[in-house]
Amino acid sequence: MSLPAREPPPSADASLTLRFDDSDRDLLARAFRTPGDGPRAWRLNGEAHRISLVDGFDRLLAWPVLRGVTRYDHQERTALRVLREMRGRGILADEVGLGKTIEAGLILKEYAVRGLVQRALVLTPAALTDQWREEMETKFSLPFSVLRSVRDWDEKPFLIASMDTAKREPHRRSAQARPWDLIIVDEAHRLKNRFSLNWRFVAGLSKKYMLLLTATPVQNDMDELFNLVTLLKPGQLHTYDRFLERYVASPDRRVPMRVAELRGLLRDVMVRNRRGIAFTLPPRRVHSLAVRLSPAERRLYDDVTEFVRDAYWSASGRLPWTARLTLMVLQREIGSSTFAVSETLRRLAQSPLFRADERERLEALRQDAAAISSNVKADRLCAFLKSVDEKVLVFTQYRRTLLHLLEVLEADGYRVAAYHGGLSSAAKDAAVRTFREDRSIFLSTEAGGEGRNLQFARTVVNYDLPWNPLRIEQRIGRVHRLGQEREVHVVNVWAEDTVEANLMELLDRKIHMFELVVGELDLILGNLDERRSFEDLMMDIWVLRQAEERRSALRRLGDSLVRARAQYEQVKETNEAVLGETGEAVSA
Amino acid sequence: MSDAPPLRPFVLEALRDLGASLSDGESLVWVQAPETVQRDLEVPANFALAFDAERSREFDAELVAPGSYFLERLVSVVVRRGRWDMSRCDVSGPEWISDALIECGLGPETAVTSRINGVEDELLLLFTFHVTLLSDEKRESFRLVAVSPDGSVWSVDLDRVELGLIPHPSPEIPSDLERAYLLATESLCVLTAGEVERFRTWSLGLLEEEVRRIFGYFDRTIDELRESDPSGSTDLIRTVMAERDRRLTEAVERFDPRASASLCSIRAILVPTARVQVEFPDGTRIESTLDAWSRRLRGLVCRICGSTAGPWRPSSRDGLRCVPCASKPAESARPRGRPRSDTPRRGRRAGEASARSPRGSKARSRGASSVRRRP
Repeated sequence: MSLPAREPPPSADASLTLRFDDSDRDLLARAFRTPGDGPRAWRLNGEAHRISLVDGFDRLLAWPVLRGVTRYDHQERTALRVLREMRGRGILADEVGLGKTIEAGLILKEYAVRGLVQRALVLTPAALTDQWREEMETKFSLPFSVLRSVRDWDEKPFLIASMDTAKREPHRRSAQARPWDLIIVDEAHRLKNRFSLNWRFVAGLSKKYMLLLTATPVQNDMDELFNLVTLLKPGQLHTYDRFLERYVASPDRRVPMRVAELRGLLRDVMVRNRRGIAFTLPPRRVHSLAVRLSPAERRLYDDVTEFVRDAYWSASGRLPWTARLTLMVLQREIGSSTFAVSETLRRLAQSPLFRADERERLEALRQDAAAISSNVKADRLCAFLKSVDEKVLVFTQYRRTLLHLLEVLEADGYRVAAYHGGLSSAAKDAAVRTFREDRSIFLSTEAGGEGRNLQFARTVVNYDLPWNPLRIEQRIGRVHRLGQEREVHVVNVWAEDTVEANLMELLDRKIHMFELVVGELDLILGNLDERRSFEDLMMDIWVLRQAEERRSALRRLGDSLVRARAQYEQVKETNEAVLGETGEAVSA
Repeated sequence: MSDAPPLRPFVLEALRDLGASLSDGESLVWVQAPETVQRDLEVPANFALAFDAERSREFDAELVAPGSYFLERLVSVVVRRGRWDMSRCDVSGPEWISDALIECGLGPETAVTSRINGVEDELLLLFTFHVTLLSDEKRESFRLVAVSPDGSVWSVDLDRVELGLIPHPSPEIPSDLERAYLLATESLCVLTAGEVERFRTWSLGLLEEEVRRIFGYFDRTIDELRESDPSGSTDLIRTVMAERDRRLTEAVERFDPRASASLCSIRAILVPTARVQVEFPDGTRIESTLDAWSRRLRGLVCRICGSTAGPWRPSSRDGLRCVPCASKPAESARPRGRPRSDTPRRGRRAGEASARSPRGSKARSRGASSVRRRP
């Protein structure tokens, strides 16, 4: 057998000597032909070289450069262990909420600072690509791009791609054609089957370092654990037959044998931090502020909904994707406020996407919206705020809703710090600072304080509800995170007989989403086995014409969610049984 | 090897050297940058620097920390400057000679006599190198090597680099720069040989472990497949073998050790140098040179270890020994094999210390297959 010949491998009996850089010759040719830059510049040249010296992984260099990342010992220990002992190949299997993404980003940054990683690929579920890009950019200053075209494989050295896209042609071939310094696979339990396209795609990537992130390496049976570890380090758990023989209680492949010995082997490739007492987050309390819309608001809501349904099922056939997206925006905005929807109605009334009769309807709706000067939800919010005597974060998706609320709240005498995507980063800093110092309300759009520490507050008001539950969770995560010591209050403001009411039914009553730990929702939604996004699912139900059809579709989705949550709980227990003490319990 | 200098003073001084004006506040530093700096560092005319990530949000300050974009840019600009320099060693009067002889261990209290046969300026060349050892991790060091016109070469401590030196504005192109560079590179190879070898052994140990595990897993998997289905398709076996080869290639690329060095800068140092005749109690006379900057007495060799570095401890019974050898008990101070010298042999080009290339084609299959055959 001979090795495939790409680079000749080193030989055990050959010696290694210094190879001198060709550029030395240029310097020798140029030196002393001119007077030079002076003795200070000469000394600084040496200092610059010494400042950039790297000596293995003696310490973490990246911490000082990270923004908005609280330093936790368990994350530092994990990074050092992966860098030093696992040599960049490990499974990060922390329990949900302990910061696997931060650990992966930290490890990547350490490699990048040392010049050891110049090309990195993050593979994630489609719904998480933008979240990853945002975190890598804001916290780690790593210029990741989300895969948009097949050219990106060659042109973008730091790339984030959804696994589903990357594993299929023409992307698959391009991804596997070039070597990667580091590959990060988020939600790596999706690599549980070694005969799957996912597993074979990742196995076929040429890589130096690889991190697999999953809180639940074992989903159903022990095969999955074998497949995951073998992808990373073949032979670590012996061959498949030997693994079954030694570590699996046949015929039930869910039950492990020789657990202590197995955990010993897993420790070489896996870090699993678990919550110690000090890392148990305080509970969340959910408060529902349901309102009945005023007659004018109700009429507008129903009319907008009717327009959306009509346009959606238009006789001209299926709408183009952009038009469907526009309708979804319209429906979401009316769920936020009449002020949010008003401007979109004006724009759409002039849009060629719609027929002349549709544009007339849109103009009429715009006039109706403009005629409404106050919203019942805003009144309800003011009433709620009067009942609390502490700092409150109020989130909305839309800037026009934010501006309206700012007016209402300031008129009511509240001191408000407004935070939205249109502000410069200095103005955003100022908003966070003034909120901390002397404002009682932090009024924010979705961009609200990502990566910033707002744990000094503990009450979050969802003035409107994003249809993507992960967005809701991000909002809550601003205060319900490591470092929060008090019980967290989540207040949801929503109107009856709206899409948001359906959302509350599904997320609150069916799966008690607001009481989950940050990160658990991803795993539950991942069990839905549904290719459409949650937003699309909500829209598809809402546009059904018959109320009974809608109720029945909603029931089916609710049942799926309940099953997904039960499955998650089952998987959590299995992982505890198999991996339990692979890692250590972390404390603050 | 050397410790990294503190970041803040380096950054501030580098910016000043590039022509920027600074106003150093408590948490932020305000910088007024000339056009060249704006272009090279991609900054506006006025900007703030922060050395703390949390403070960098204020006034959109540029963060300075290991791995920050600003520091990377600054370092890349600074290393392109100051690549050569001419200095002069400033000494007044002849006292430095007797002081240097005392430092060398040949003061009047010894029975050694020294005669000065003249003092004249000599041009030493100091080369700085960035040495990198790379496999799946990186280890770097910064080395300084001095070369004298008579071909002596020695390693220089960082704290000596600026000692007694003043700028010497008159440009003078050192003769035989190329030859001095070759001597310096040869010396660097000798100086780093132990470290490079340890790194190589360590990397190959990791590779060996990886290769053994990969062969073990895939070969046993193939055996199991054959046992479970003796008449089974060979396609599956071929797929497994292809995967094994791919993994082996990956392992080799990961752990293949590489050692490289690049010349960072050169300093020419005009230094008063005395020709000294040293006479030992047994009557032996050695012609030596002593320069005012390095204070090394060149031409002496320790009879135990072969070092030329000094300081010295002459003895009428044991001859000339360096202080480290003289301090050791007699048994352990015996020479072991070839005496070590910090002056490399002449006539070999840099990087040719070994006749065998570590990456030669012969080495290829031998490296992996010898590992494979192990039990």
